[in-house]
Amino acid sequence: MAATVSPFSGVLQLTDLDDYIGPSQDCIKPVKVDKKPGKAGAKIRIENDGSYFQVNEDGESQKLEKAKITLNDCLACSGCITSAESVLITQQSHEELHKVLNANKNSFLSSPGVDFVFDTTFSRNFSLLESQREFVRRFRRQADDERALPMLAAACPGWICYAEKTHGSFIVPYVSTAKSPQQVMGSLVKGHFAEQQRLRPDHIYHVAVMPCYDKKLEASRPDFFFQEHQTREVDCVITTGEVVKLLDQEGVSLPDVEPAPLDGLFSSCSEERVFGHAGGGSGGYLEHIFKHAAMELFGIQVEKLEYKPLRNKDFQEVTLERDGQTLLRFALAYGFRNIQNLVQKLKRGKSPYHYVEVMACPSGCLNGGGQLRADGEAGKDLLLQVERLYESVEPEKPEANEGVRALYTKWLGGPTSERARQALHTQYHPVEKANAAGFNIKW
Amino acid sequence: MKDSLTLLARIPAHPDSRCWFLAWNPTGTLLASCGGDRSIRIWGKEGDAWVCKSVLGEGHQRTIRKVAWSPCGNYLASASFDATTCIWKKNQEDFECVATLEGHENEVKSVAWAPSGSLIATCSRDKSVWVWEVDEEDEYECMSVLNSHTQDVKHVIWHPNQELLASASYDDTVKLYREEEDDWVCFTTLEGHESTVWSLAFDLSGERLASCSDDKTVRIWRQYKPGNEQGVICSSTDPTWKCVCTLSGFHTRTIYDVAWCYLTGALATACGDDAVRVFEEEPLSDPQQPIFTLTAHMARAHSQDVNCVAWNPKEPGLLASCSDDGEMAFWKYQRPEA
Repeated sequence: MAATVSPFSGVLQLTDLDDYIGPSQDCIKPVKVDKKPGKAGAKIRIENDGSYFQVNEDGESQKLEKAKITLNDCLACSGCITSAESVLITQQSHEELHKVLNANKNSFLSSPGVDFVFDTTFSRNFSLLESQREFVRRFRRQADDERALPMLAAACPGWICYAEKTHGSFIVPYVSTAKSPQQVMGSLVKGHFAEQQRLRPDHIYHVAVMPCYDKKLEASRPDFFFQEHQTREVDCVITTGEVVKLLDQEGVSLPDVEPAPLDGLFSSCSEERVFGHAGGGSGGYLEHIFKHAAMELFGIQVEKLEYKPLRNKDFQEVTLERDGQTLLRFALAYGFRNIQNLVQKLKRGKSPYHYVEVMACPSGCLNGGGQLRADGEAGKDLLLQVERLYESVEPEKPEANEGVRALYTKWLGGPTSERARQALHTQYHPVEKANAAGFNIKW
Repeated sequence: MKDSLTLLARIPAHPDSRCWFLAWNPTGTLLASCGGDRSIRIWGKEGDAWVCKSVLGEGHQRTIRKVAWSPCGNYLASASFDATTCIWKKNQEDFECVATLEGHENEVKSVAWAPSGSLIATCSRDKSVWVWEVDEEDEYECMSVLNSHTQDVKHVIWHPNQELLASASYDDTVKLYREEEDDWVCFTTLEGHESTVWSLAFDLSGERLASCSDDKTVRIWRQYKPGNEQGVICSSTDPTWKCVCTLSGFHTRTIYDVAWCYLTGALATACGDDAVRVFEEEPLSDPQQPIFTLTAHMARAHSQDVNCVAWNPKEPGLLASCSDDGEMAFWKYQRPEA
């Protein structure tokens, strides 16, 4: 593996992400720099630390502002695949969270100023249910719409960022519109929960803990910003690794913390038991959609899926067959190399799949860039341990969750309502390539 | 010493453009050239003259930086600044583009075929090295994307008989890769050059690797396996590659290419000072500290930068070179009498 470890997923490391400078060296975004008014002819002095000073004719010097680009500038630009880390650091970091928590001083997360703690599994129920329904709709539409299938998973923001910037209008129609669990939780907290608590959405500071740095990019998308209340669905994303940094900063050791139950989002009572979802550590999209589609489209009850590794362990296939005929062909494609092969197959019209669970990180989300790292063999063992632990949590069927069902009825006005569409689906924005090669071709 | 390199022919291979690179087919009967005119030309000998047998146009939108023959000689790969790599299949004298490898973010700088013929490596200004696998139906799939370099990757080559890959970069290093489980990993980085490493060449045995650089030196690296007699420390199960010789003071500008002749052991260089040079190892020098002497120096081999040198794989001493002036030249190298 690379010696220079970037926290972002491999997909986003392809170009300029490893230069931790902002704007990056190839950044083509025009930047407005506020200069102090003065006569023309002022000199600029560069200090040893690289800071710039404007020296006027009287010899007075003023420090010049560094050029800064916002994360939104960065996401909307095709200059490089994504921003430099420094752009993120200013908006979403454990330092930022630390400040917020200190300003709101009032088990581990509950003590330092956190009022409620929810489990993302609850919001993932909505992501899974919406993905299932969307797949069945697309499958039935495939004769009329050649971009209906394959449906591609949308929960991985590294993949989404890469798809929008590199394959833009070609790939976007295939991508599922179901929101990721992080953003569904955003809708729930700043929508339903705010109403329930009689709070304005912008009076809630919502933090997501994720195994992934790219999730910070996702939370910053304009699509997840409530214009009306000038607030984001998710205000801050910190990674599991950053949680450990926070704990260290506070001098807290996790084993010494008194366990506390999770808060319930629907009822006011707390959740005593923790549930998970079947189908691996990346959300189980393939597993749930496969079972649902087999029943809904073909009346076939599937108990256990057979995952067949193909080219490598991060590319696996699952098929549903009847009388020698393949009814459904799904795949997992994790990591950049497998994403490449999938996209190239699609472009050549040679993809045999109906659905692909695409994730940017090799081995999926449990190996996310925000997770704690160990080198070499120890790293592999650690990942195995995390996978085992994650799978030991009792799985729950999204359809079986009463809280979810109740919220569909009471909050959203049914699964097909406009409100459900708004709260649980999103859209993507192909970034047309600025012809970067255009102005510098010599040969 | 001057007489040791004789000009046989000089041909305007890519007129009004640069000629970037040359590659002999495995039998040494055909030479492929590529250039800034976005074309590949295939040259063969008719009588005493080198003639253009075919022109492969239409494949690329921008400069073709390098070409490489498959070990069987039936395919040619071309790396272009248009971010793609084309695979051309040979049918008698015609070539047909049978696959286009897409995925690099920008300029592809080099391409190389593994000795088995089933793997291809490419590298790019996007700092990555890719390993591709080909199946029987000419379908190419990406096996690995290696992000070890921190800058533009200039060159990739395979070991002559093992599945071991080497890359050279603007980050001044050389990196070596091997397969691990179902992916590829960088297992060592060769540090020493003080500027861009432009090209690489293994010797016939694959025990030694030559690298050439913008720092005006050629370095010879030697492989030491774990438990070697010389006591060179190996960190794990991987061999250590140690620099055993640095050729400095011979070149006055950037060295763009280095080629190790598998038939004679002679080492040729292509330099930005317009010269072609040949070095040979002193027969009695210590293998752990070999001494190479300059045996040929053609000062104005071309009228501009020399981009590439290529030894014919079958005819000892036949050397081809090409230049920014668009020309290629054929040379006869003869070891000077002691």
